[in-house]
Amino acid sequence: MKNVEKGWEPRILAFLCNWCSYAGADLTGISRIQYPPNVRIVRVPCSGRVNPYYIIKALQCGWDGVLVSGCHPGDCHYISGNLVARRRFAVLKDLLEYVGIEPARVNFSWVSAAEGGKFASVVTEVVNEVKALGPAKRLVKVRIEWKNLKNR
Amino acid sequence: MEKLEKSLREIAEKLLSEKKVDLIIGYERGTRPLRTTPCFVNKTEDVQKLIWDSSCDNNLAKYVVDRKEKVGVVAKGCDARLIAVCIAENQVPKENVIIIGVPCLGVVDRKKVESKLEEKEILEATIEGEKIKVKGEEFELLLAKNDFLCDSCLTCKHRNPPIQDVLVGEEVPELTEVNEFTEVENLEAMAAEERWNHFNGELSKCIRCYACRSVCPLCYCKTCFVDQSIPTWFGKTNDLSDTMIYHIVRALHVAGRCVDCGACSRVCPVNINLRELMKKIEKIVKERYNFKAGLSLEEAPPLGDFKSEDPQEFIK
Amino acid sequence: MKWKVIEKSKLPNLIGELAREYEIFAPVDRKSIGSFERLASGSEVSLDSRNTKKPPKDVFIPQTETLFTYKTGKQEVELAAPQVVIGQRVVLAVRPCDAKSFVLLDKFLSSGEYKDAYYKEKRKNTTIVGLACNHPLSTCFCTSLGGSPHGKEGLDVLLQDINDKYLIEPITERGEKLIEKFPWLKEAERADIDKAKKLSDDAEAAVKSKVSIDGVDNKLDGMFDDPIWEQICQKCLNCGICTFFCPTCCCFDVLDEDGKRIRIWDSCQFSCFTLHGSGHNPRPSGKERMRQRIMHKFNYFVKTHGESFCVGCGRCIQECPVNLDIREVVGAISALPTDKRSDND
Ligand code: SF4
Ligand code: SF4
Ligand code: SF4
Ligand code: SF4
Ligand code: SF4
Ligand code: FES
Repeated sequence: MKNVEKGWEPRILAFLCNWCSYAGADLTGISRIQYPPNVRIVRVPCSGRVNPYYIIKALQCGWDGVLVSGCHPGDCHYISGNLVARRRFAVLKDLLEYVGIEPARVNFSWVSAAEGGKFASVVTEVVNEVKALGPAKRLVKVRIEWKNLKNR
Repeated sequence: MEKLEKSLREIAEKLLSEKKVDLIIGYERGTRPLRTTPCFVNKTEDVQKLIWDSSCDNNLAKYVVDRKEKVGVVAKGCDARLIAVCIAENQVPKENVIIIGVPCLGVVDRKKVESKLEEKEILEATIEGEKIKVKGEEFELLLAKNDFLCDSCLTCKHRNPPIQDVLVGEEVPELTEVNEFTEVENLEAMAAEERWNHFNGELSKCIRCYACRSVCPLCYCKTCFVDQSIPTWFGKTNDLSDTMIYHIVRALHVAGRCVDCGACSRVCPVNINLRELMKKIEKIVKERYNFKAGLSLEEAPPLGDFKSEDPQEFIK
Repeated sequence: MKWKVIEKSKLPNLIGELAREYEIFAPVDRKSIGSFERLASGSEVSLDSRNTKKPPKDVFIPQTETLFTYKTGKQEVELAAPQVVIGQRVVLAVRPCDAKSFVLLDKFLSSGEYKDAYYKEKRKNTTIVGLACNHPLSTCFCTSLGGSPHGKEGLDVLLQDINDKYLIEPITERGEKLIEKFPWLKEAERADIDKAKKLSDDAEAAVKSKVSIDGVDNKLDGMFDDPIWEQICQKCLNCGICTFFCPTCCCFDVLDEDGKRIRIWDSCQFSCFTLHGSGHNPRPSGKERMRQRIMHKFNYFVKTHGESFCVGCGRCIQECPVNLDIREVVGAISALPTDKRSDND
């Protein structure tokens, strides 16, 4: 880890689809599976609802990493929301990497309502990878502070 | 060239007099050397204004969207492909446009000619076959046209309009062998940090005039995201983060639609090579979805579509 | 005060000395785009024969300028005083057309009832050193707008390039004071002054591009609803390049961002420029926007401030991506019959 202030913890913003991944995250909690507390969750109706702007804006606001998670292909509540989103995310991810954003900051996963364990392992993986990168700098305009988030 | 111009004028005159179109959109001589300008002809006697040569660089597809009248448009390969995209995206009714295709051997990049001449000002220029004759105070030069073509033209694989209603002159040979992604591959080979610095450096010049958007035939949105104020998605100052995001998002918006006409790079008053971004987008879409834009009037843009077997190696 | 001369090779010394006391802005070839930048060291100055691609207006009107900052609490708003105090500045090698643009900007931004404090403060503390043009471009038409390639309007000091030397002419008191700081400057000889005079006459004659603006302002009076705007704007992309690159265009937008009140460049060519909160746009299409640009430059400004709001620098002609040439526009308007107005009624 380079030039990181002591005690720095990455901040990850997660967009979880209501029908699968959000329920999956819930199950993680109910099943008392441990995962790093570095994630803040935004519930969205479907992964297809996640406009690439949200992801880019999150990076601009200083989130150290972003995770978008939806239902597995075939399981989307809206049939193909996640399949259209998959193309959008692929292009976004490739392009962000091309301009020099570290690939590990932008993450996607499929997590079903039954996969509490998978949610925990995805989050752990993301947090560890982002930790290894250090705090986000590229594209950051305003750095969010945990304490300000808590006040809201 | 003269033969082509003659036949172009005949076609235009015929279309107008037979009332197949109300308006012809083409090129006429501009007020500066190597400069042509878009020309709108609605009277048969004005067809004599129409010209065609390698300085006809403006992308006339821009003028096709949002028109009430029936138009005939002079279109190079890239222009015709963009009209096709606009038709496929239901922005233009097919029956309202007649594509007057012109096989194209590439257009001259004025910036390249100017930088070759450094301080000297070009006062007169003519394109004669493979040569550009430039004249100024106390100098006269004959330049090889091919050394001064736009970057996009150097790798263009559709010099003949793949879609047209009437073709002016004969088809020209296509460049089938060129690698259109060399620049992108060179950038890909760099370290992430190097690339970041490169794009930072380039885009820090941007003055946020949005001309690159205004010139793009695909940027027909009634309200562009940069103009949105409820909410204001991204800042409007020339802060580097906002500027980078403007370009990233615009590139995303033309994914699977951009045909590398080069208009955005040509228009940029501070010489930012936007092609580095646009070509990458084109490459991503080609590699992932095997799609090339502007070759059909029906095919939906790939980012509005999906296949169940689309690659998803990046998904955890 | 006498005119001076400086050998070209000594210019960096002069700039070096100046830099101790002043913040210096000068043409710099930054990534091959000529623009006026704050100098870090004297050597970067690029005094080519051409004017800069970008106009010097951003010395006084930066593209992004923070007007003040604030903090909002539960009940109250805390304001931080605007930071307008600027140190002494010198802008070097301003071309006569651009110097004239400062005179016009002064009329617009710091005369009359409403004065722009931010602009005024910077202007007040700035000495303008001009550089005459010996080689006008084919797009220059300053002489049609009351300027000249060796013109002095708006300058405190004029430099004229006489081959191996610059002839230094103080124009205002402020300019004299600046030159007095360099007692080592040699006095100009008769031959130097004669040479400059000759170059000035030649340059004036070299401005071939002429635009007749006589009577255009009055003619425009009756042309608000003229069909000509429809024709003129046909090819325009409303890209705004002509206004961003114009030395006199200074329209702005004000917005808030993270506790900062910011002013940024805006353009009458943009659709948002006149968009109302209600969603209504009084200038809904390119026609109205192009009309605004031409009207403001050649009619409204003439009525309010006595001259055209264009200095003939030709930048809009060089940069317009569709070759919409302002000389042709003005030409077309002045070629219209004078009774045009009654035609339309
Ligand atoms: S045209 Fe150039 S300067 Fe203008 S917004 Fe586009 S990249 Fe920026
Ligand atoms: S993005 Fe640029 S290259 Fe692509 S179609 Fe639009 S103007 Fe042409
Ligand atoms: S940049 Fe995007 S939102 Fe703006 S006009 Fe182009 S496609 Fe539309
Ligand atoms: S630069 Fe040309 S195209 Fe752009 S707004 Fe001005 S006149 Fe129109
Ligand atoms: S309108 Fe054009 S020529 Fe006149 S001052 Fe502005 S940029 Fe220069
Ligand atoms: S509802 Fe879960 S991805 Fe569409």
